[in-house]
Amino acid sequence: MSGNLVNLNVNPCKMCMPLGSASAFYGIRGCMTILHGSQGCSTYIRRHMATHYNEPVDIASSSLTEEGTVFGGEKNLIKGLENLIRLYDPEVIGVATTCLAETIGEDVPRIVQDFRDSHPDLRASIITVPAAGYAGTQYEGFFRALRAVVAQTEQDAAPHNGINLITGMISPADTRFLLALLAETGLEATLLPDLSENLDGGHEEAYRNLPSGGTPLAKIARMAGARMSIEIAEFIPPELSPGQYLEENFGVPLRRCALPVGLRDTDRLLALLEEAGGRITPALQKQRRRYLDAMADSHKYNALVRAAVFGEPDFVYAVSRLCVENGALPVLTATGASSPLWQEKLREEVAPAAAYHMEENCTALDNCDFDLLEEQARLLGVNVLIGSSDGRRAEEHLDIPLVRCAFPCHDFVGGQRQRMLGYEGGLAFLDSVTNAVIHSRGRRYRGELFSKYYHKAVPPSPAPAPGPAPEPATNRREANASKSAVHPCFNGGGGDYAMMHLPVAPACNIQCRYCLRKFDCPNESRPGVTSEVLSPREGYEKFLAVKARMPELTTVGIAGPGDALADFAAVRETLRLIRAADPDITFCLSTNGLLLPLYAEELVEIGVSHVTVTVNALTPQMGARIYAHVDYLGENYTGEAGAAILLANQFAGLRRAAALGMVCKVNIVLLRGINDEAVRDITEKAKAHGASIANIMQMIPVPGTEFAGMEMVSHKDVQAIRRSCGEILPQMYHCRQCRADAIGKLGEDRSLYFRKVAALPAGADKTAGVLRFAVTSRGGMLVDQHFGQANEIYIYDYADGRVCYRERRGVVGTGGCGGAGGGKAAAEELSAKMEALMRAVDDCDAVLTMRVGEASRERLRAKGIDVRLTYDRIEDAVRDAGQASPGR
Amino acid sequence: MNNAKILAERREFIGEGARGKSIACEKNSASGAVSQRACVYCGARVVLNPVTDAFHIVHGPIGCASYTWDIRGSLTSGSELFRNSFSTDLQEKDIVFGGAAKLAAAIEEVAETYRPKLIFVYATCIAGVIGDDVGAVCRAAEEKFGLRCIAVQSSGFSGTKSFGYRLACDALMELILPHKRPAGTRGLGVNILGDYNLAGEMWIIENYMRRIGVPVVATITGDAAYETLIKAPTARLNLVQCAGSMSYLAKRMEEELGIPFMKISFFGVEDTSASLLRVAQAAGGGEIVRRAERFTAEQEKKTNAVTAPYKKHLAGKKAAIFVGGGFKAISLIRQFNAMGMETVLVGTQTGQPEDYEIISGLVGPDAVILDDANPSELEAFMQEKGAQILVGGVKERPLAFKLGVAFCDHNHERKHALAGYEGVINFTREVHLSMNSPVWGYVSG
Repeated sequence: MSGNLVNLNVNPCKMCMPLGSASAFYGIRGCMTILHGSQGCSTYIRRHMATHYNEPVDIASSSLTEEGTVFGGEKNLIKGLENLIRLYDPEVIGVATTCLAETIGEDVPRIVQDFRDSHPDLRASIITVPAAGYAGTQYEGFFRALRAVVAQTEQDAAPHNGINLITGMISPADTRFLLALLAETGLEATLLPDLSENLDGGHEEAYRNLPSGGTPLAKIARMAGARMSIEIAEFIPPELSPGQYLEENFGVPLRRCALPVGLRDTDRLLALLEEAGGRITPALQKQRRRYLDAMADSHKYNALVRAAVFGEPDFVYAVSRLCVENGALPVLTATGASSPLWQEKLREEVAPAAAYHMEENCTALDNCDFDLLEEQARLLGVNVLIGSSDGRRAEEHLDIPLVRCAFPCHDFVGGQRQRMLGYEGGLAFLDSVTNAVIHSRGRRYRGELFSKYYHKAVPPSPAPAPGPAPEPATNRREANASKSAVHPCFNGGGGDYAMMHLPVAPACNIQCRYCLRKFDCPNESRPGVTSEVLSPREGYEKFLAVKARMPELTTVGIAGPGDALADFAAVRETLRLIRAADPDITFCLSTNGLLLPLYAEELVEIGVSHVTVTVNALTPQMGARIYAHVDYLGENYTGEAGAAILLANQFAGLRRAAALGMVCKVNIVLLRGINDEAVRDITEKAKAHGASIANIMQMIPVPGTEFAGMEMVSHKDVQAIRRSCGEILPQMYHCRQCRADAIGKLGEDRSLYFRKVAALPAGADKTAGVLRFAVTSRGGMLVDQHFGQANEIYIYDYADGRVCYRERRGVVGTGGCGGAGGGKAAAEELSAKMEALMRAVDDCDAVLTMRVGEASRERLRAKGIDVRLTYDRIEDAVRDAGQASPGR
Repeated sequence: MNNAKILAERREFIGEGARGKSIACEKNSASGAVSQRACVYCGARVVLNPVTDAFHIVHGPIGCASYTWDIRGSLTSGSELFRNSFSTDLQEKDIVFGGAAKLAAAIEEVAETYRPKLIFVYATCIAGVIGDDVGAVCRAAEEKFGLRCIAVQSSGFSGTKSFGYRLACDALMELILPHKRPAGTRGLGVNILGDYNLAGEMWIIENYMRRIGVPVVATITGDAAYETLIKAPTARLNLVQCAGSMSYLAKRMEEELGIPFMKISFFGVEDTSASLLRVAQAAGGGEIVRRAERFTAEQEKKTNAVTAPYKKHLAGKKAAIFVGGGFKAISLIRQFNAMGMETVLVGTQTGQPEDYEIISGLVGPDAVILDDANPSELEAFMQEKGAQILVGGVKERPLAFKLGVAFCDHNHERKHALAGYEGVINFTREVHLSMNSPVWGYVSG
């Protein structure tokens, strides 16, 4: 179950049964495993095991196909058994099923019996285990395989002095520890399984594909006569327990214990071994005393530990007990398997630790996935994770250490060498947990205590102290201001930076009495004028084309020809397209301000850093003389009413834009006799509303407008007014009153050169003096295909040592040589293909191909097309062919 | 040939020298031979998984989700959603009563909780066998929640990994087809197909495009997101980097969306330069070509300066290659040739006849060529041919080390880029550091 989703497992904290079975079989001597199912299962499991153990992991597959799935996979399984016997000559073969084989109802024991009957020379014992991935996790799969090994091996029940020691999935290094322990106690024992060598082998002179370690079947056959079985597993259901099987069928007494991690469980195992007649050596007693000493030494650090422990039920239980006895708190315990018994026992186990830590919320979860685990770990304030590499995402998200000590460990090295069993193993493991917590505390405590207790003035550079984040608009303001440096209008003269105006905003929502938007007059340079109106897509194309040719382009502006906000959708789309292609470009936009309050937020979102508002009036009365009408929210307003709306929105918009961190400029058009006396006041008011620069400019009278006859304010007067207003706001002295489609540095409009530019010139029309080559290629890099097999032809031109790709031509009439149908149909298809090929190379001087049939060669020759056989990189082949052509 | 290691039925898949060009291939794996191949689901998941903001839901028992959870090195500049593995975790009772209802509930929950734009549902072996109508569940979800929910019928047994690629391509077409460019409008920019942004390789390629001035519309599927994917139909040209997985998508986009494609490769210095020039010629000509010429010349010089000192440590050494597809194998042979190394063993999981013909022309007369090789064959031939480094996937790594052979990861889990000029430097360095490591003096000595 997931933390956020009830119906989905989000990031599984478990693996499947076949993985467990395959792992268990790896501990049987001379055993090779085959999974009866589709190929992917064995490959995925091999990959998972190979990266953990760093050993070659060979697991065969019956490689079920569609046919096998529908009609039964018996044939595949038999063939598979024969093949793996040829290649590996195993003593034992583990046959584990998978989801697929179980679901289609394969009777594997019967198939295997038939196989034995039909292969009298068979040397290997075959063990079958049903392992549907949906019937349990790797934990169940592991024990199910062990039980199958014991139950399917003919047992010799003659009593002997030895004992059986049965384990779950423990590391090879821990397995070696158990073997050494058994030897030390002097007990004869059968360890089942024994992964110690097979999944952590040495480097040998000669490599053997079937590793030589593992529990021999001969020993397994005598398990029924042992004096006792000890099963190191607390939570396996009785029907999966090999020990239970031996007890029920042969009366071998079964003892159970948890994984011997830490004091209590190692004591318990040693007690059992002693009960079985083993000797507890002084060396072991010394190890125990050393463990006690370490418990005292580390207890204060261990009290800092709030661990989340996850993985197989036995692992989590044992590690939790280790924590508890050392005063650490396993505040969250989780397993992906389903086990109510486990949950109950863990609650019991953790209770005293919870009481000691006065923590009421300790949680134990079965059926857990990492989504839930992460969520709970966050809630519970976990400070260390203990489990497999699969916890690494939680480690990353929660920023707490993960101590890796279970399967799979595929992002670190040493999975096969993990140690946690016995006094020494437990201690080394506990140290790594304790040290992880000490390390992360050491890393953090200076910063944490600084922010907690240091309340004097804000220090100049509080390195680790996370002060309050600066207000976003402030950040943006700084970032935007810095962009002014490369904006030719805002940096005081352009320098080496160029801008372009994109005429994507044809509509306007007010009528100024001095303006006539006239769309095609390339000789006029004046705001509002443009030669073409572009769609957003075209505007974007034009940007790309210009940027490609003018790298100094730093700024894209929208300045009409209408109002940039009147039809905002087009402007928004244009700017979004450009932003996606170029994250660094500066956007500026000019508007009459009528809709600025409405769109200011969105402008910021798109990344517009500079906005210019043209404010010509101080009062509605003055405005009424300048604006003929104002279209606002579907209504047409004239006179003072319209002007009042416009003015109010201009200043409200300025205030909003400035508050959002945009760099705001006001344009003021000097209208003699109307506003020339009020310019200072307008500037003053604009400043009060957030403008940071002003551009005061002449009105350029346009024939056909109401103000066609108005006298322009002289340059001298303009300069005087600018100087006067300069006391209030910085002035833009360098304005060149650019067109709505201007491109270039200020005063150097190069838009003529870019008109109707095609961003990606197409066309494969051949020009004179150029050699054209048809190339056949499969991968597109090399001339690596037969002419007759080509389904596409690459066209290249060559001239004067230069090779140029032109296009790829599809060849209709696919099928290649000798189409599937055979007979007449195939012949027709072939001939259609040939015609298509001939058409495709019709305009070429030569064909470059790996091979060509005689018939094709003849036809090409008849058309005057040369053929060159080659196998080379296309460009090199074309160059060679071009240079070799006569007369070049 | 070491007979004990070769199954009779495998002989036709193996050829030495001239025989290598006509080995059998494109057949089912021999049962029990320990094929290195994966399955249909694997192929589909590899291709689609880098779509960063999609929910990738595995409909089936837990294993398939468990083994594919966040193990690949595809990077993201946006959502991290794709790094999760969602599974309906089918149980015994679902197998008996059907899992469609569980899937529908899962999608509903995801849709209501997260309001995603895109969900891919991978139906694995069992969903196929028990007959869950995953397509119908997905279609119903699309209608009910107004999102895209695309079924990928990827039962592992239904073909090879390559078939999985195809299913993924179909799923991508299903996603983008409704977003056709309006008739009469012009396409602009390029899509990059078949790069999965392992260790940032898509970003490397995008940077190159930016440097030469070619706009990129959609990246498929490295660092892809719903919003950029649906813009793919507006591109003017498709560039296909991994032809093995994406030629099929490129062909469909050409036929159904009118976007022509070209195959390119960013593995190796020469291929990278040739590809960039070719893209420049196709995409813009003029200034773009001049920029590409400048850029490639500059990068080649820089790269060769870095790799030159390595070459004397590599020249004359012997390499073995066992990778998924033919194009990658061919590209690697050529890269080894460029290092002055000899390739003595080449195998692929899913190569085609033409691949093997080309491979046989690229390697020496004694080299062995194998299709769908297994560990026994790799072991036998690496030893027989004296290979000093193996390029392959992680399953082959421990085998190489046991044999005292160096190793280079060329799979989806790696954390360093192998594409582009940067990739050439990384690859050269990796080959050197593994092959010339002091450990071999002790281990094999």
